[in-house]
Amino acid sequence: MKDRAPWRRRSFGTVALAAILALAACKSRGPGAESKTEIKIGATLPLTGSEARIGGFYKEGYDLAVEQANAGGGLEVGGKRLPVRFTLLDDTSTQATAVSLADRLVNGDKVDFLLGTYASHLVEAQSTVAEQNKVPYVNGGGGATQIYRRGYKYLFGLLAPVELLGSTLMQWIDGEQQAGRLPKPSRIALVWENTAHGKDFRRGVQEFAQQRQGAYPIVVDESFELDGKDFGALLGKVKASGADLFLADAHLPDYITMQRQYVSAGLCHKVVSYGARGSEKGAIDALGPDNVLYILSAVWWSPQLAERQGGLAKDFVEVFKAKYGGRTPEWYQALGYETARALFTAIQQAGKVDREAVRAKLAEMKIPSLLPGGQLSFAADHGQQAYYPFVVQQNLPGGRSPLVFPKEVALAEGVAPNPRCAK
Amino acid sequence: MARLLDLAISAILLAGLYATMAYGLGLIYGVLRVVNLAHGGVIMAGAYLGWWLHDRLGLDPYLSIPIVVVVAFAFGAVLYRVLVRHLPRGAAGGPASLLLLFGVWLVLRNGAYLLFTGNDHALRTSYSTRALPFLGTWVSVNRVAVLAIALVVPAALHVLLRRTYLGKAIRAVAQNADSCTLVGVDVERIYTVTFGIGTALAGLAGLLSATLFAFNPAFGAGELLKSFVVVVLGGLGSIVGTAVAALILAVIEVFAILVLPSYLTAAVGFVMLVVVLVVRPGGLFGERVLG
Repeated sequence: MKDRAPWRRRSFGTVALAAILALAACKSRGPGAESKTEIKIGATLPLTGSEARIGGFYKEGYDLAVEQANAGGGLEVGGKRLPVRFTLLDDTSTQATAVSLADRLVNGDKVDFLLGTYASHLVEAQSTVAEQNKVPYVNGGGGATQIYRRGYKYLFGLLAPVELLGSTLMQWIDGEQQAGRLPKPSRIALVWENTAHGKDFRRGVQEFAQQRQGAYPIVVDESFELDGKDFGALLGKVKASGADLFLADAHLPDYITMQRQYVSAGLCHKVVSYGARGSEKGAIDALGPDNVLYILSAVWWSPQLAERQGGLAKDFVEVFKAKYGGRTPEWYQALGYETARALFTAIQQAGKVDREAVRAKLAEMKIPSLLPGGQLSFAADHGQQAYYPFVVQQNLPGGRSPLVFPKEVALAEGVAPNPRCAK
Repeated sequence: MARLLDLAISAILLAGLYATMAYGLGLIYGVLRVVNLAHGGVIMAGAYLGWWLHDRLGLDPYLSIPIVVVVAFAFGAVLYRVLVRHLPRGAAGGPASLLLLFGVWLVLRNGAYLLFTGNDHALRTSYSTRALPFLGTWVSVNRVAVLAIALVVPAALHVLLRRTYLGKAIRAVAQNADSCTLVGVDVERIYTVTFGIGTALAGLAGLLSATLFAFNPAFGAGELLKSFVVVVLGGLGSIVGTAVAALILAVIEVFAILVLPSYLTAAVGFVMLVVVLVVRPGGLFGERVLG
């Protein structure tokens, strides 16, 4: 018995120490969020590689949002201001790098939250890392619906589904048909890039056409590989089909190559669209203003919304121009900015730097937005992908590309049928 | 019938482009037995040089052909003298040359990113979308020009290789470099010139591509792959074979749309490549060296 007392004393001491440590650990985990001195947010973007141009645009949006957040001392979290420490890495436009850098940000740099990269294939791969580590991942660069069909809880997307791009274009076309400016039925040549983006676009057009029962027969339904060198055979098929409407979905280089061949082949359709492409300066420079006239395009955001929608869209355009030497933002910068702003808002609403609390706030978010429609929420029935209308613009004479649809934000009347076909 | 005619014209014009892209690769392999992985990078650089000459100096792309060819030749010659000639010859040099030239390609690509960013560029002239009427259809002026150049290049190479001392020396070195050294041919000089000509042809292909497509620093990878298919199909080292293989590949790819979805037509060429490698590894035109 005598020699058991020291052991008991040691045992009691050990247990007491363990209890104190456990209590300390609990204390630092619970209110630990409040004891934080900063909010660590990590992101990767394709700053080099094939998507570098657009990655640079998203960076401008992120930088502006972070600058604004830190301007007043940081985000207001639980009654005090916490500065945002933003770590941005270059994923070189490759999936493997995007994944490994996200892993480094979460497990090496110990960031609290992640902002997404650009391009659907990169977001799809990278968001898995966030999901595995239970880190809220808010992105404005992945529009493919398949990304959001995986049942991920921590993934939130601001790009509306590409299907809506196709269906929004069709809504405008439908209005023109009902006004008697397009024939009924209008035969569609549907040409889409063989990617998730292209497939979603096709689905949007197909589903709309099916709903209208016979008003829009699809007479050509063909896909093509990215960076095509010759669309002669494909355009030959379009020509032979006698289609009234030419609806394509293409990235910028393919749009330029295809439209050059389209014009050279003497083709002309009552409505011509390349999906989200059409009004880019690069395309106008490459093709000439005359060769892009009356092309219809639908995008996620336009600076013209500042004029008609006002509010946050107008504020954003003003602060962007002030920061970047009067340059007008494109939809890429707007989506980058809004993505960061959505995450910051959720952190403030949660009142603590806690991943679960912020995830919950993102899931139930409904805030005023600079996006079309003026509201942002992450629709649960769409896998937490935002769902809002696209805006349609058309290249018109005089180098203008005004918004023509939806009517609430339209700055001009769209033109159909294509007057060039009459020449 | 009109549809078939359209397809035939498309195929011939596409063949011109494929052939132009592949000549340089075939020539360098035929003489030096080096697979020039920097070929794609030089195609990209040729596109940028043509665009820069047009954008900054207002030079028409077809008038800038001599400048692009000379610059690309000089680059190729320097590349050979400074790097490639130090590689071991024969089979031992294979992996080393692949790695080295792949590295050169990466340097070219990243140099372009630094200089021009990742933005897409395109070369636009007053005739970029102009077309000529031909048998009831329209044919792009630029595509016709590329086809014409694709026909001139093998003819010029033929004259060079058959009618000049330099050409005879190139053929001799391609057949047996050691014997050439014994009879006083400066083999290193011939290698330098050949590498320069092959690189110049890649630069020319880049310039011509720039008149047809938008490009960025990643441009050239698809072109290199297509060039490989054409060169292997035609028979490594055969210039005439390269031209004929380009035509075969283009015809099959274009006419495949009659039976296959459009996105699968590009794969037809690669299927052909596999079949040729299995059935006739020397290519359709055998292992002729610069024949």
